[in-house]
Amino acid sequence: MVLTCRVRIGNTNQTIGATGRSRREVVRAVALAALVGATGTLTGCGLFGGEPDPPPAPDPLAPLITGALDLAGRYETTIAAFPELADRLRPVAEAHRAHAAELARVTGTALPSATATAPTPGTGAGGVSETLGQLREAEQQGREAAAKACAGAPASRAALVGSIAAARATHLEVLR
Amino acid sequence: MSEALAAALAAEHAAVYAYGVIGVRLSGGAAEQARSAEAAHRSRRDGLVLLLTEQGGPVPAAEPAYALPFAVTDRASALRLAVEVEERTGAVWRAALPATEGAQRTRALDGLTDTAVRATRWRRAAGVSPATVPFPGRPT
Repeated sequence: MVLTCRVRIGNTNQTIGATGRSRREVVRAVALAALVGATGTLTGCGLFGGEPDPPPAPDPLAPLITGALDLAGRYETTIAAFPELADRLRPVAEAHRAHAAELARVTGTALPSATATAPTPGTGAGGVSETLGQLREAEQQGREAAAKACAGAPASRAALVGSIAAARATHLEVLR
Repeated sequence: MSEALAAALAAEHAAVYAYGVIGVRLSGGAAEQARSAEAAHRSRRDGLVLLLTEQGGPVPAAEPAYALPFAVTDRASALRLAVEVEERTGAVWRAALPATEGAQRTRALDGLTDTAVRATRWRRAAGVSPATVPFPGRPT
């Protein structure tokens, strides 16, 4: 038995991790552990320690923001390596930046500054067609991620996330 | 939900009509593209008619004719109308996203995505740059 999760005493609906144990089960488990001298497994669980609650779960759209910044970075690296593609790819890079900004706004998160975004390694190392192929693959994955996020989004976010999924589909056209 | 989907059906009726006007001004690959787009709109229209009929709500019928935003007299104006038809239909599908969930949300997203992709193809055919917009379907 491994208890690696928080337990809030006083909460009527206590669960532990994915196993969903009741408080009574937990008490029994703790008593058993004490009997066999295995209390060490409970260290860090916060059962008696009054540790602060862990930070709230990240917003479900957080991966979409990271993905948009990653895609923007890939296009920008490609444009730097192949300036002849700039006219074609710059609007797409800008769209990804605009998506990240809009997602950050609705989720109330701060975007990392442009300089803090690490350049994507590897992009631009091959030839033009190889690089465009890599962009297509990344864009396709991004499109699927956005479509999935749209399917599960609350009504207030569905239109924005849907537009982002549709935009990524149009980027694939530009990469053809 | 059915109100948003009824609006989508009305938009698809109009799109089918518009492609009748657009197609006759195009030739070659563009004409083929128009035929394929018209077929796609017919298919979405038929799917919506079935769905809304099953649900027992209002099922908007096609108008005998639609007022076009401008006269279509040549290839250039036909391509411009094709872009506009896809943008307008996309906006209606996008508006259906918050009003739907599950399979109907997916239907709305497919509608928005397809119109956005076709709008991009038409912009490229018309030589419009950039061929993409950052937020397809969003009112500008």
